[in-house]
Amino acid sequence: MSRDDATITKDDLQAFADGVLDARRRAEVERYLADQPAAAREVADWQQQNQALRALYGHVTGEAVPARLAVHRIASERRRPARNWSGMAAAAVLILAIGGAGGWYGRDVLTVAAPAPLSLAGEAEQAHALYATEVLHPVEVRADEKTHLGAWLSKRLDRALTVPDLRATGLDLVGGRLLPSQEGPAAQFMYEDAAGGRVTLYIVPADTARETSFRYSAAGRLKSLVWTAEGISCALVGDLPQDRLQDIAKIAYRQLG
Amino acid sequence: MSRFLDEMETCVPALRRYARALTHNPDLADDLVQDCLERAIRKGHLWKPSGPLRAWLFRVLLNVYRNDLRRRRRAPDPIPFENLPSEPRAANVQPGRLALAETARAMQELPSDQREALLLVAVEELSYADAAAVLAIPIGTLMSRLARARATLRQMTQADAPMLRTVK
Repeated sequence: MSRDDATITKDDLQAFADGVLDARRRAEVERYLADQPAAAREVADWQQQNQALRALYGHVTGEAVPARLAVHRIASERRRPARNWSGMAAAAVLILAIGGAGGWYGRDVLTVAAPAPLSLAGEAEQAHALYATEVLHPVEVRADEKTHLGAWLSKRLDRALTVPDLRATGLDLVGGRLLPSQEGPAAQFMYEDAAGGRVTLYIVPADTARETSFRYSAAGRLKSLVWTAEGISCALVGDLPQDRLQDIAKIAYRQLG
Repeated sequence: MSRFLDEMETCVPALRRYARALTHNPDLADDLVQDCLERAIRKGHLWKPSGPLRAWLFRVLLNVYRNDLRRRRRAPDPIPFENLPSEPRAANVQPGRLALAETARAMQELPSDQREALLLVAVEELSYADAAAVLAIPIGTLMSRLARARATLRQMTQADAPMLRTVK
């Protein structure tokens, strides 16, 4: 064994099989594999797996894309009803006519019609008031275990949750916890700005494919923005101006999708 | 906006391929892609995505797929398996038909998180960094997930199909 051999890791072997090593490293791995028949067989099998998978699925990109997946058409069908109310009314009639199988038009109409539950804001504000002031144990799982936090709360809420990264708005993740709520298990993520001001994001599962606009509510110093999208209802709570809360909510909303 | 849509359009074939590979069901796969595109357009109107669009779209697609899986777990319905393509293309050295069938079956047995990861790297050829970003996991986690997927696949295809060993 040469000195290089000791430094060849399993990750190097995978990168070799995936063809992403630079020339120098590739040569080192090749030298290593020449002396290691078992590893060489394993790597050859991985390469064969890659080939088999490309052979299995590669042909899909050669197929004609169905019309319903035409991006520009989806976008223009979306824009049309949103621009004028008569268009939306026509769409609503269409939905009644075809009994609720309304597809895209239906979603826009429902978006307008369905307010997010404002009781959610009350719950979220209570949870915020209870834990945002907590010094010793503000969260159950701290930010340094962010991956675990996301996986755990996804499992408990039965939704694919990403822990939003709000650093672009000057907020660092503190961590999160699981809470009881009217809708079942709720997740609370807590963030902190440079001055120690805390913002919480409260999330409960929603049994609906509907999407609502942001709803604003204020209870004393605390303000909340509530919305429903992608099978979850969210409330962002903090002692912040409405504009700033809205900027933060938009970023959270996008990342949660 | 139009440029955003143009760029999105170039990603559609790869999104279809990824969805097909995840589900083995062409209709369901296109449903997921449609949902993904609608969602991305909805959000693209409001926020310019940061980072590569393709990776972001894969991420949106995965969220759609995972939520769909959860819905199905609550109200299961049988998923038909797609027949193998009669003339697989795209590979210079063609593994035998039997090996392909074994691989397809083994893929369906893999835990979902391993399948998602392996397909992003092996079929979509995303860099490790992009694949890790799509899955929202650290690169180290991605590498061990890939290693587990490959080991499981290797074991399943070896145990069930000695033929694979002879195909070079």
